[in-house]
Amino acid sequence: MKKIRVLIGMMGLDQHEAGAISVSRLLRDAGMEVVYMGRFNSSDMIIRAALQEDVDVIGLSFHSWDFLYYVPEMIEMMKERDITIPIIVGGSVITKDDANKLRAMGTADAFCPSAADHEIIESINTIARQGSERDE
Amino acid sequence: MKHNSHPTISLKPVYTPEDLNDFNYRQDLNDPGAFPYTRGRMSGVRSSWVQRGLSGEGDASRSNEQFKYLIQQGQTGIDVIGDTPTMICMDPDHPFSVPTVGTQGVSLCCLYDYLGLFKDIPLDSIAISSSIPNIFTLSGLYLAAKKNGFDTDKLRGSVIQSPFFFEECGYTAHLPFPLRLRLTLDSIEFCLKKMPKFHSFLENTYFFSETGLTTDEEIAFGFVEMRHTIRQLLKRGLEIDDIARHIVWLVNCRMDFFEEIAKIRATRRIFARMMRDEFGAKNPRSQSLTMTCHTSGIALTAQQPFNNIVRGAIQCAALVMAGIQAIEISAFDEPFRTPSPESHLVSLRTQQVIDLESGIGKVHDPLGGSYLVESLTNQMEQKILDGVRKVEALGDPADLSAKGWFKKFFEDSMERYHKDIESKQRIKVGTNVHQMPEHEDTMLRDVAEAKIQPYIWHVERIRRYKERRDRDTIKEALLTLKHTARDTSDNLMDSILEAFEKGATIGEITGALRTAYDCPYDPYNKMASPL
Repeated sequence: MKKIRVLIGMMGLDQHEAGAISVSRLLRDAGMEVVYMGRFNSSDMIIRAALQEDVDVIGLSFHSWDFLYYVPEMIEMMKERDITIPIIVGGSVITKDDANKLRAMGTADAFCPSAADHEIIESINTIARQGSERDE
Repeated sequence: MKHNSHPTISLKPVYTPEDLNDFNYRQDLNDPGAFPYTRGRMSGVRSSWVQRGLSGEGDASRSNEQFKYLIQQGQTGIDVIGDTPTMICMDPDHPFSVPTVGTQGVSLCCLYDYLGLFKDIPLDSIAISSSIPNIFTLSGLYLAAKKNGFDTDKLRGSVIQSPFFFEECGYTAHLPFPLRLRLTLDSIEFCLKKMPKFHSFLENTYFFSETGLTTDEEIAFGFVEMRHTIRQLLKRGLEIDDIARHIVWLVNCRMDFFEEIAKIRATRRIFARMMRDEFGAKNPRSQSLTMTCHTSGIALTAQQPFNNIVRGAIQCAALVMAGIQAIEISAFDEPFRTPSPESHLVSLRTQQVIDLESGIGKVHDPLGGSYLVESLTNQMEQKILDGVRKVEALGDPADLSAKGWFKKFFEDSMERYHKDIESKQRIKVGTNVHQMPEHEDTMLRDVAEAKIQPYIWHVERIRRYKERRDRDTIKEALLTLKHTARDTSDNLMDSILEAFEKGATIGEITGALRTAYDCPYDPYNKMASPL
């Protein structure tokens, strides 16, 4: 069975990497392949890497409110290029209200700091499975 | 249920004289104010500590108002944090900076900003501590003080010097290690001559220990960085007694109450013996370490943010018992933002209640002689010394830093910390025990979750500011700086000050320094070089 491939990255100048590293290692230990982009990415860099690496899910980690800028920009950019890779967003500053707004905006899921490890894994499994069923 | 928060040293139910074999009061403790300063560097009537909170948001003018408000409420020191671009030496008009300008600290990119930041602040009577990169916080403060008529000899405060860890674990400015170390040495040397009362060498172990390091690892890594930096300063011909009295240590403080106290006491003892016996410092002031603290952000939780107020009070009580010289309590909304006005006030009032109502701070080292605390201090000292020896045995710490050894260590630590919480090895009330449904967890959420919008108009102002300047003057100053930086025997501070005074920005000055070290002017390749 093909392993789920997840790109994990951070945007702009967001510095604090703890969440992105923890989630990457969590997904790796759950049997997924992680393409770790680390810090200092633009929307264009993430989208191009996601296509080149043929990932099932794009995961963006935020330690700051930059997600208010970058997530809409990336969704718009992907629409313009007709790309349908699902985006998930997580971060220490994301509130329940933010998570609801992000889902309404078009992300496949969004995680607050209270999200348990198993919730993140199950969500990505579901999103990736739905994606592969669509492709078939 | 377990009821400890995962200490480095497991506690026993009871401690007795048998836990203190070979204990020698004069040798291991001595009186407060006497070598080895385990009980603190001061004697006599105990004075209060500097009470401050992390401040800075939006632009200089907004932050200046914040300082004045906090001073009016009784704050006795100022601690400034820059927004992300400021912390990594980038201008607000850089495309990567724009979404974050002013949101997590103050935007300060030129002397004009610093003049606004310190407007009507009595720089000769209040200590200014800063987390902003060394060369810019010093240039801004020094030039602002001169322009406002203050005697720079009287400036007090501190600046972080972290050539090893700041780039890897705090704020990445894409500066090569030799340049980072040089800026540390040059700025300390500058202060010894021009700002003699300023603590120009703040060893900050707070930010990297927030990766989840154990308490002994935090202090061991701090000593490794400090010892390397001291050796480099001595190679320049400086005297240890001149260097040492400018050192101050900013530690972290999490929730292991007695362990944190023991850590601080052990650190003072190790420092005293190291300074006297290894580096040959003779002046008692050189052997007695000034210690300050910023309480832990990762000890706080996004769930039930009101619990963080309790955590701050417990941490503050521990620090006062440990005899710390300045305290910043991480505010209850720390998991979400830099402090709101409400959380600033709660943190400050917490310190004031402990200071003025509890009596905890009246006696030096009130836990001195406790079987528990002395035993923990001895164990902590041994663990720290073992840690320093192990890391230094691996080779030149500068090489370890350049090779990313520390970065890997921090990453592993982050994972360990996260797993400990997930597995409940580390208890967090409200997070992995005593949780509440989200719809009930509403107390103080409106404060904690309020967002600061980017200061876009400030970006426009800086664009206009750049256009108004004389380009030839800026270019000449930056070229002089680049030329000076090529010659590694010159101290860079005079050229940096000159460029800053002529109107160059932090992004331009840092870009010029990068190019002198054959690095790209802009690491993100978005800004044209003016050189």
